[in-house]
Amino acid sequence: MLTLYRFLLCFYPATHSLEYREEMAAVFAEARAEMWEEKFMTRLRFYWREAAGLMVGAVQEHLRGFPTGRFEMRNGFRFPKATAILMAVILGGVVLAIQKGEAIQASLPDVNPVIGPIQPAPHSPLLSGIVVSLIFVYAIGLAGWAVLFALRRSGVHRLADAADPK
Amino acid sequence: MTLYDMSLEAMMETLPLTEPVLLILLSLAGQPQHGYSILKDVEQMSGGRVVLSTGTLYGALWRLLDADWIERLEEKETPRGRQTYRLTSTGRRNLQLEVSRLKHITRLASLRVAVKES
Repeated sequence: MLTLYRFLLCFYPATHSLEYREEMAAVFAEARAEMWEEKFMTRLRFYWREAAGLMVGAVQEHLRGFPTGRFEMRNGFRFPKATAILMAVILGGVVLAIQKGEAIQASLPDVNPVIGPIQPAPHSPLLSGIVVSLIFVYAIGLAGWAVLFALRRSGVHRLADAADPK
Repeated sequence: MTLYDMSLEAMMETLPLTEPVLLILLSLAGQPQHGYSILKDVEQMSGGRVVLSTGTLYGALWRLLDADWIERLEEKETPRGRQTYRLTSTGRRNLQLEVSRLKHITRLASLRVAVKES
């Protein structure tokens, strides 16, 4: 459970997770130890509350830079590596599933089989559309991350800091 | 300081306190506390009604740190999870303003309810 908790912490902005990851995990471990003797449903509620709290908290922390209306480039805007990996795994899974589906379709005999080799079924336009859409969304996400990364490298955030010294 | 002594700026700065944030500030008002003891204290103060997750607690703590209402005590050799937090003078002042505001509302509510009953 602690491993899952640490994984969910990866969704927080990098600055937060680096600074507070260990502290939050330690507090969670302490709270979990106290829950150990509770009833199953109480423990379940505890885990649910923790997971939901982390996910909502991560989204809120990512959105915190937006209310001013000014684009502030911070470390916190770095695209989480865990999300990129998750997207890649999902994309791989979808492609694999489509390939398997096509193979099964091709191996099924027709109702009135014709003499000769079985022709592979033509590509389904719906499935192809889904794949193309996924690749498109993935490419946009990657491009967005690249722009943010490039801006970060260019030092734009320092201009914002200089304009608004705290 | 009463509600009427507050400047508008101070009011605006203080007023949007959610219940969890108010309870966290009240928890730190007595003495510096670390994360887990804040969680337990908030639960105890609210009679088990407000149970914070660690995500919610640290979200609130980060906001309070950014606003300079609380500070993190830098202690060497502190075990993980035992970093203590305490109220700053700004935080204490704003907490007092919020308590004044709540007192005013409670007094007003009591009066209105009493008039209605009579």
